[in-house]
Parts: sequence; C-alpha cells; structure tokens
Amino acid sequence: MNGSSPTEPLDQETTPEALIERFGRDLVNDFDLDDPVFNDRFDETLNFMAHKCPVVHSKVGKGYYMINTQDDVRAAAQDWQTFSSAKGYMPNRPDGLPYLMPEESDPPIHTRWRRVLNPHLSPKVCAGYEQVVRDDANALIDKFIDRGECEFISEFGALLPGWAFFKNVLGLPIDDLAMLVNGVEEGTFALDLAERARNFGEVFEYLDKHLQWRSTQPQRGDLIDTILAGVTYDDGTESPWEHKVSILVDLTFGGIATTTFVMGSAIHHLATNPDQRQLLIDNPELVENAIEEYARFFPPVVALGRTATADVEVAGTSIKEGEFVMLTYACASRDPRHMDEPEKIDLSREGIPHSTFGVGPHRCIGSNLARIELIATLEEWLKRIPEYRVKPGGEPTYVTGFLRSMRTLQLEW
Amino acid sequence: MKVYIDEEKCTGHGRCAKYAPNVFRLNDEDGYNADAGKTIDVPVGEERNAALGMKSCPERAISVVED
Repeated sequence: MNGSSPTEPLDQETTPEALIERFGRDLVNDFDLDDPVFNDRFDETLNFMAHKCPVVHSKVGKGYYMINTQDDVRAAAQDWQTFSSAKGYMPNRPDGLPYLMPEESDPPIHTRWRRVLNPHLSPKVCAGYEQVVRDDANALIDKFIDRGECEFISEFGALLPGWAFFKNVLGLPIDDLAMLVNGVEEGTFALDLAERARNFGEVFEYLDKHLQWRSTQPQRGDLIDTILAGVTYDDGTESPWEHKVSILVDLTFGGIATTTFVMGSAIHHLATNPDQRQLLIDNPELVENAIEEYARFFPPVVALGRTATADVEVAGTSIKEGEFVMLTYACASRDPRHMDEPEKIDLSREGIPHSTFGVGPHRCIGSNLARIELIATLEEWLKRIPEYRVKPGGEPTYVTGFLRSMRTLQLEW
Repeated sequence: MKVYIDEEKCTGHGRCAKYAPNVFRLNDEDGYNADAGKTIDVPVGEERNAALGMKSCPERAISVVED
C-alpha cells in the first residue's frame, strides 16, 4: 500500500512528482503553452494530455484552463453563451489590443459578419482558386528544383498560403507579404508581450491603410468590398471602421500563420517515410484523406480561448465566471475515446473526426481554401519531386504557443 | 435509413458532402449543409458513405433517425 486513500483514484502518472520528473513541470496544475519543453516534446505532451488530463490549469499571468477531450471541447465550443469569445482568444492578451471581429465576438454580432464573409470563402468559390494555387505551387518549385535542395518553409511553405490569400483572394501586392508574415509571427510568438503588441500594431496599421485606399477605388465586388460595406448590428448601429480593419487583421492572421505548419509537417513526414510517399504516388485518390490526417495530427492552432460567463464544471473541474479557458483542439484531435491509435499517422484512416479547423460557430473561415492549398502542395510536389529527403542536419525546427509553426526544414533530392 | 442534420450545429465544415456526395449536398452560397434542419433519406447502398460523413463531422451535427 502506498498510503493513498482508495476512495481517491490516483493515477500514478499524473501526480505532481511524476509530472515534474517526466516533463519538468506539473502539467496538470501549472501548464504553460509557451514553455520550451512543450515545443520540444509537443507530440508526447499532447498524447499524454489526451489520454490522462481532461482539464489542466496554468498559473501563467492571469492564469487559464485548458479543456482537452473532444466531447468537452465540442460542448464548450458550441455553447458560446457560457464560453464567450468576446474577451478574446489569446491567453494573457496584450493590453490595448483591439478585439478582432468576427473571431473575438459572439452571436449575433458574429453571425452578422459570418453571413456576409462566408460566401467569399465557400467551397465553390475556393474551387475557383484551385488552378491558380497549383500554378503558384509550380512557380515556387521552379525557383529551386534545379538546385537539388531548398529550405522548404521560406521558399515554399510560408509563401503559398500568403499568395493564395493575399494575391488571389484579397488582390494585395505580394511584395509586402514578407513584412506581414513577420508581423504575424512575432505578434504571435514573441516572448515579450509588448513585442507581440507592437507587431500586431504594425499589421493593423498596414491593413488599415490598405482598406482606406480601397475605399477610394472603384468597387470590385470582392471580400474587401464586403468588409467595407459593413453590416448592421441588431441594435441598429452600423459596424464601425475599427471593426472592419480588425476583420482584415483576423483573416490575415488566419490566412498566413497556420497552413504552413500542416504543409511543412506533411512534406517532412513524406520525406522521412518513403513508403507513405509511394502510397500517395500510387494512389493519388488518397491525397484528400491524407490531408485530413495531416491536419488532425499537425494542428497549427493548438488551442483558442474563451471566457466563462458563469460558474461551470468541466470534467470535474470547477471554472469560475470570468476565468479564461482554452479549447485544446490539438488534444481533441487525438482523443483515444474517438479513434484508434490517435498517436499514429494513418493516411488511410477512415472518417477522421478532428478539430483542427475549430468547432462551433467560429469554425475556421478559411478551411476550404486551406484544404485546396494542401492538396495542391502534395499533388504538385510529388509530381515534380517524387524522391527527396531531409538534408543532413536540416531537421525541422518549431515554435509553439497557442499556435504551432515550423520555422525551417532543409530538403534535398 | 434516415438522417437528421441539426441546423444549430452545422457550421459548414463540408466533410459530410466530401465523404457522401450522393447523400449530403452543400449550399452553393456558404457551403453549409443544404438540408440543415431537415431529415433526409440515405439512398440504398450509400449507408457506409453516410456513416463516414457523419463520423467526420466535427460538430456531430448529423444523427440517424429511427423509423
């Protein structure tokens, strides 16, 4: 007997002592999304929490909870009345940062905007971008294929999503993309919160100016014109200018800070698993399913936050009104209660119930475009460069917080 | 076999129509399930595809209706 009460089932793997020994900190009571250990041991931590930790708490800053099971994440995401987005999605949000519409709002404000924005990123409209995305993918590959090597992230993975969204959907000049990509990255991952806010500010300023310029131009009937036209809120007021700018900022963050990670991870997985690469080359009809499995296993959005509007209990943990709660999509997509061997990548997995594009009314508005970018990448890459590998010493590097991104990946062929 | 598509839960992931295009239709304008709020028949022979579409729905918006 170890002395613990038999009425308190104690999992030996989740005692503070066991957690500190294994992960260097007590994940259950003292989690930290920004801890370098989480970045370094991302898969191990997610797999562990998906199995063992339905809810964990963080003491960082103002503190936050993380909900980790698929059923609880879905229930909270769909219950927007209790888990509100109106106080933001970032834990320990930098002071003074304007809220981003529509992501940091609840129905009915959220609904008004999504109703007019969704048609610009519907499956049908996005299918119309497919050929140009494929052409862009090939134009990028053309630049390095004869060299026999590339740094995948800076030469392809960080560029294609930016081109797809900025060039094709928004009609923005791609010359400014590098500045925006950097602003988004530093606005998300900079360890200094003031630095995050400063980078956010630069992105705001750029997009505000662009929106002002477009408001002086003839209408094109595109997404930007829809934003400029605005919506009428339920109280009869018209959406203010700052909401319009924030929508463009929100779409920009979603459009360029995310898909790169799935893209780079899929290309890396296929570089290191030649049998899986051959499987997709021999069975191209599997690519769409493979994309879902890669999206499940490599979630660029680790978790997004809500604020409890009432005292609530989740998986036995009491959460008080006003406390911040992260919905850990990354864990929900590895929930062993909903799939076999969630810790394994199975490109033939049938019916993949993942949460990578979020759940509930805030479902990623760019999901249809992201899927086209990912399918185009795998198909065009495997056509042009069917044999390739990681360059010795060029293993991927990552950065992780509430988002996860791949920074570098050196390939050769 | 009949299935019900919950209008409150459908948020336009589009997985149902991807796995079972002969069962589920998406609204052209916004990509949400075109039959959201309704009970629809699953054509004979499409049960397996329908089940995959249901399982892939992150919202669990589709459920089988007992006759």
